[in-house]
Amino acid sequence: MQPVIRLEHIFKTYGSDETEVQALQDVNLIVETGEYCAIMGPSGSGKSTAMNVIGCLDRPTSGCYYLDGVDVAGLSDAELAHIRNRKLGFVFQQFHLLPQLSAMENVMLPMVYAGIPQNERKERAAAALTRVGLANRLNNRPNQLSGGQQQRVAIARAIVNRPVLLLADEPTGALDSHTTQEVLQIFAELNSSGITVVMVTHEPDVARQTRRIVWFRDGQVLHDHLTPDDLTQMTIAA
Amino acid sequence: MDIFESTKMAVKTLTANKLRSTLTMLGIIIGNASVITMVGVGQGAQRYASEQFESLGPNVLFIIPGSNESRNRTFDLPKTLTLEDAKAIAAQVPTVSAVAPQLQTQQPVTYSNKRTSSLIVGTTPEFLPVRDFEVARGRFFTDLDVQRNTQVVALGSDVAKNFFGDADPIGQQIRIKNISFQVIGVMESKGAFLGNNQDDAVYIPLSTMSSRITGNTSPYGTEVTFISVNARDEASVNAAEFQLNNLLRLRHKITTEDDFTVRTQKDALEIVGNVTGALTLMLAAIAAISLFVGGIGIMNIMLVSVRERTHEIGLRKAIGASQQDILVQFIIEAVILSAIGGVIGTVIGTSGIMLVSAVTPLKAGVSTTAIAVAVGVSGGIGLFFGVFPARQAAKLDPIVALRSA
Ligand SMILES: Nc1ncnc2c1ncn2[C@@H]1O[C@H](COP(=O)(O)OP(=O)(O)O)[C@@H](O)[C@H]1O
Ligand SMILES: [Mg+2]
Repeated sequence: MQPVIRLEHIFKTYGSDETEVQALQDVNLIVETGEYCAIMGPSGSGKSTAMNVIGCLDRPTSGCYYLDGVDVAGLSDAELAHIRNRKLGFVFQQFHLLPQLSAMENVMLPMVYAGIPQNERKERAAAALTRVGLANRLNNRPNQLSGGQQQRVAIARAIVNRPVLLLADEPTGALDSHTTQEVLQIFAELNSSGITVVMVTHEPDVARQTRRIVWFRDGQVLHDHLTPDDLTQMTIAA
Repeated sequence: MDIFESTKMAVKTLTANKLRSTLTMLGIIIGNASVITMVGVGQGAQRYASEQFESLGPNVLFIIPGSNESRNRTFDLPKTLTLEDAKAIAAQVPTVSAVAPQLQTQQPVTYSNKRTSSLIVGTTPEFLPVRDFEVARGRFFTDLDVQRNTQVVALGSDVAKNFFGDADPIGQQIRIKNISFQVIGVMESKGAFLGNNQDDAVYIPLSTMSSRITGNTSPYGTEVTFISVNARDEASVNAAEFQLNNLLRLRHKITTEDDFTVRTQKDALEIVGNVTGALTLMLAAIAAISLFVGGIGIMNIMLVSVRERTHEIGLRKAIGASQQDILVQFIIEAVILSAIGGVIGTVIGTSGIMLVSAVTPLKAGVSTTAIAVAVGVSGGIGLFFGVFPARQAAKLDPIVALRSA
């Protein structure tokens, strides 16, 4: 079976000449289907850059990226948009919900771009919101919801097109410890239902609840498959 | 994503931000309203002026001093037209049924302590049939009055009303340029001609006018301002024009350029058509500029809106919107705004025209062409000026856009 993510010698350079920043320097990473994986590392180590490449929001400067067996480099912008729509789900630290839309409408948005008919959109959006525990908040606007509830709407939106890969960049960064646990609970459930989850986090307690920890430094994968003990030492050192 | 979904999304966005949408439409509304009003007013002016000349009747010809070329050169026209010319025309041009020379100027007119500045028209009794005027009360002056330079006057209805109210003016003395005149008649109200109130005028014998009011400085005879002529019938107008030209060229011993112009009703209508056509075009051009400015307004506010919505655009792209989806969404927003603006502008413009028709003599018409063009053009303007901001939106890098939050 193909790995979901296969990064081979990925480089990403921002700017040019004097302002040049090597955000990724020879990143190699394989994530198999069904994994639940945390990416950690100091600020500026290239975690978000790697997530953007993995999420097809950005193209690497060099190197090969196979997503679900497909070499992404050869795809057009429209094809990448299609992949983001069908194969990927994004969860961001700042939720990024559209304020003028209700929870339902926000969750329906990816299906609009997928060309799914209105009736099915409604059914699936309601189902996704029910799955994240918001069955009674379908018609609320984002500003009528708590932070944890907004992040759950965002998760519903990310999974509504049944992606193979869920990408979350510091999804609990803006949440308190109680709602963090709620969100992690949902991620764990999604993962056990077969969705591959890759999450960037700063918090060791969050990372410990995943099944694999990848450590980034200076644009490289410094350690992989860290044990919880390693992690304790790493975070003391960092 | 299909057009229907894009449109729904655009409507949703536009209604979510009503103030911004309204402001964006404002330019188009004003532009459209002004195109429709301006063109309507221009065409109304055209119709009004044409009707005025048509009301003179098809048989009338005017002889005015100077050639067309010399009138373009100078305002100081030769005093070549005379009372004697008018007499010669009456005596010698067979296709002419009546001739009325007019010598006119603006002068103060007083009665006891009342004073106006009115048009003083010195003419002959044939003025009545030629210009289709009628006397309401008393009488007009006769050929005898003209021969004897009598100091008699027929008052325009407004002057009579102004001086005498409901009292009988006949037999009273008024003063023109401080010379005493006896009122012998009051004219039937005639209304305005090309904006000049013909009822705010007084009519005296041409000879009296020339000798007592203006003084004659022409070396050729008794100077007149212009001569109105009636052809016998409509069929003889062309012949009359020809004969008038011949006679006057002979009398004025013309060898090169004419020092007079004979103008038929048709000529006058043509000139009116040219002048008011140019006016309409100018008004339409001014209005078109405001429509264009409205388009730039749309572009302006949409560019701001793209900036404001960077974050939204980034998110839409992250969850699968293609560049084309974003492009189409923004263009549809622009087209909807400008089309609605176009319709509102049309309603306002049409009301404006109705108002103009109600309060002025310009019977401004609602031009369906103007409406079609204005609405079509504003839709096109929305498209044209929407494309640039829409492309800006479509090209946004989703990572940068999301980070801008
Ligand atoms: N768009 C960009 N332009 C220039 N430099 C960037 C850009 N994005 C990230 N970087 C730089 O790349 C490096 C890695 O950034 P990032 O991937 O955001 O790190 P992390 O998410 O681990 O904190 C940093 O030095 C950052 O300043
Ligand atoms: Mg980051």
